[in-house]
Amino acid sequence: MVADTGKTLRADTAKPVNLPEPLAVEEDADGLPAFVKLKRRQKITAVEDCWRIDDEWWRSEPVSRLYYAVILASGQRLVLSKNLIANSWYRQSY
Amino acid sequence: MRILCVLLPHFPINCEKMKHHDLASHPVIITAAVGSQKLVMDYSPELQGLQREMPLQQALSLHGTAELIHADIPYYVSVFNKILDALDERSPLVEGADLGDIYIGLDGLQLLYGSDDALVRAVSAAVPQIFEARLGIGENKFMSWLAAYFSIPGSCKILTRDTAAFLKDLNCDLLPVSLKSKEKLHQFGLHTLGQASALAPGPLQAQFGPEGLRIRELANGRDATPLSPRLIEETIEENTTLPSVTALLEVMLVAVEAMLSHAFTKFEPKGMGIRSVNLWTRSWMGEHWEKTIQFKEPAMNNRTALSRIKLILENSPQLGLIEQIGMKITGLGRPNGHQKSLFTSVRARDNLLEDVKQLEFRLGGPQLYRIKEVEPWSRIPERRYALIPLSR
Repeated sequence: MVADTGKTLRADTAKPVNLPEPLAVEEDADGLPAFVKLKRRQKITAVEDCWRIDDEWWRSEPVSRLYYAVILASGQRLVLSKNLIANSWYRQSY
Repeated sequence: MRILCVLLPHFPINCEKMKHHDLASHPVIITAAVGSQKLVMDYSPELQGLQREMPLQQALSLHGTAELIHADIPYYVSVFNKILDALDERSPLVEGADLGDIYIGLDGLQLLYGSDDALVRAVSAAVPQIFEARLGIGENKFMSWLAAYFSIPGSCKILTRDTAAFLKDLNCDLLPVSLKSKEKLHQFGLHTLGQASALAPGPLQAQFGPEGLRIRELANGRDATPLSPRLIEETIEENTTLPSVTALLEVMLVAVEAMLSHAFTKFEPKGMGIRSVNLWTRSWMGEHWEKTIQFKEPAMNNRTALSRIKLILENSPQLGLIEQIGMKITGLGRPNGHQKSLFTSVRARDNLLEDVKQLEFRLGGPQLYRIKEVEPWSRIPERRYALIPLSR
């Protein structure tokens, strides 16, 4: 039998789920996502939905994101988010 | 998918009229208890300003002289099931969504009936006339329900094109969302579906949560709710009237045991057991209580089933003195195969945790996690769930 290691549960032992994954996205002239690079570069054929989240503005790292539900040329549906503070793109299921 | 909705307005009231023919002469409110709260289940059509699921106090403040009747849900369900059985002979895709709301999938039926009119006639003939069935055809469940709602009793309305113009001026109260959300929509000055559909999804979600997105989709005539045709399964129903009204658990258990013994004789020889039981009681005041009891493993004998039911009854306070008790056995199944252990499996969970800890010790950190809800309401997706080490 292995003795208890005596380790206590710390906040860092809990892992977040569904973190945003960085993604290469090309924008068009209006700032809307036009192409996305997954395994290969794909054209975004339609933006189905768009919504914005602004939260935790009182913290040092506030959340300000613009989400897009898009359809790719392959027919795949994807939810993209743009971090409006860092100006970077991510994919994340919502 | 084209869907035909058969709407039986005021279904519980019409069921009561079948039982008591003198009910038509005075206004009636049918009540049902949800926890400790009494809600309006249905009401006579002449009572204005009432809604289903409205608290009874609120309804009585509007119509204090209406007669109150406790809902006899087993009776309503049995009448509803008979109608569904009749409709099953017209179409294989029949869903009884709610008491009085029936959806029928139309795909492929044109080949059988030739035209919508012939199908509508066949469906209308399957529903007793007292229910004044309204029929509607639409591209999804919500649109077909609206078409049925606005059709004349005995006729069918077909809604397939220019739905936006049809929806624009309809009242938000028609949305199949919670009463609280409907009240909130009116408080925001959103009285019509046209007003709700014009809003962006963000603000609606911020105010109504996940239901906000559904409100917007429905207001635009889109409803992704799939048709769930009912499954035909063997059910066994037993019920008994107690010799005298009682609140004693022992008396109820004797009745349950007698019903179980009777039920087991029907399927025990086939080597089958009970997977699910819907237990119900009816008090002498007519109040209805019911609970569905699931068995992790099929209960193969009377004793096993009774011990689980006893536990449930002990922890579920009854609404009053019980006069009638019954059960519907809805799941019959055979036991799963098991690998027998040479040694005792007592403390199996402790042994498993010990193994997990050993794994952690060898590999230097948590290896197995479970998903735990942290802030499931959060608008930030990654805040909703977290992985917690299994050994903690």
